[in-house]
Amino acid sequence: MEDSQPATQQPVGAAAVQSENSLIKDLLIPISIVLAGIAIGVGLYFSGGPAQPQAVNPSGAPAAAQADNTGLVNEVTDQDNVKGNLNGDIKIVEFSDFDCVFCARFHDTMNEIVAENTDVAWAYRHFPIEQLHPQATAVAVASECVAKIGGNDAFWIFADGYFAAKSAGAQVALDVLVPELVAAAGVESGAFASCFENGETLAQVQEDVDNATATGGRGTPWSILIGPSGKTYPINGALPKQAVEQLIELARQEA
Amino acid sequence: MIFEVLSKVFRQLRYSLIAVLIAFFTLSTAILQPNIGLLGAVFTSGEISWVSKYNFLIALYGSLATNFSVVSAVSTVLIAVLLGMNIALLVYYIRRRQIGGNNKAGNTASIAGIVAGTFGVGCAACGTVILSTMFAVFGGGGLLLLLPLHGAEFGVLGVILLSFSIYQLGKRINDPLVCAA
Repeated sequence: MEDSQPATQQPVGAAAVQSENSLIKDLLIPISIVLAGIAIGVGLYFSGGPAQPQAVNPSGAPAAAQADNTGLVNEVTDQDNVKGNLNGDIKIVEFSDFDCVFCARFHDTMNEIVAENTDVAWAYRHFPIEQLHPQATAVAVASECVAKIGGNDAFWIFADGYFAAKSAGAQVALDVLVPELVAAAGVESGAFASCFENGETLAQVQEDVDNATATGGRGTPWSILIGPSGKTYPINGALPKQAVEQLIELARQEA
Repeated sequence: MIFEVLSKVFRQLRYSLIAVLIAFFTLSTAILQPNIGLLGAVFTSGEISWVSKYNFLIALYGSLATNFSVVSAVSTVLIAVLLGMNIALLVYYIRRRQIGGNNKAGNTASIAGIVAGTFGVGCAACGTVILSTMFAVFGGGGLLLLLPLHGAEFGVLGVILLSFSIYQLGKRINDPLVCAA
């Protein structure tokens, strides 16, 4: 009996091994595909975030591991480009990129939000992503020149006009569109040219970029809602209007 | 052939359910992940009613329309559906082969299949998924500017890869069960 036992077990064991090898062979292509996915996933995890301006997130820490730093957002003051009620209980600070299509969508949403909510202040700050939008920083600098010369209302004429034109498919930025908007905002072209060419507002734009990344911004639009209690809520991307309205209502509840 | 296999597998409630649940989970992850911090801030609050929290969560699903380009939204939905089908077919195939759920190859394929969903799923608005990966891996800030869809191509690639994977699995499932030679 004992002598015959190995002889009967051998084929069973071999068949099992062959069966498993066959299974692995059969799954080779699906596994290859998903392994490629793993490589991307690992790269993603260690990339530390997004397409963002250089020198942002100098720690290089994975985005997922970053703490909530939205409390570091610079205070909203009358020096900001603000639409709505500056003294309202709810403040939404948006870090935006003039050439980002999602920022254009969110711009429309925010225009509706401030029009329908008298206790909301919308502060527009800059977060141009040059890797994706090479002209975005220049447009941001131009918009701040308009604000510096023409004031808050002039800034919003420029910003609303720029986003409206981009949404309509305008491809020209600096050459034609900006001078048109500068004129529409009532800003004298000579003063604008001097401000723009001397880069007088570049530091302002850079300060916004630095604050955006310090608060955890990893792309645009990046916004922070500040509730009546001072509690901050991070908003990543272009939220639908209904979600923004509900978030405002939730912030009111936490007052 | 492949449609017969799909019909045979997904007529069974168990596999349809697996596919639907995984597709829903994948889609939810893609839509909600960019605002996971916001969800955390809302859902950990003791002063907000659960009804309000639930309504906010539902409203956030609208991000698919506002936070994604048309190409990335379509590819994200397709990838979620295909990933669900892929894993359901894998489970069917492995069970039919009577290999236990602890089989190493099967487990690897299932887990990796989920990760494969990241291959193109993402919110282009935030620039958080594939874009950053490519920047990190290749260090080419201008690389994506060379692509006509600025990275959404990877979503299309993900759809193609998962479709191919399903096709291959369908072929295997359709093969007659025979003893290994």
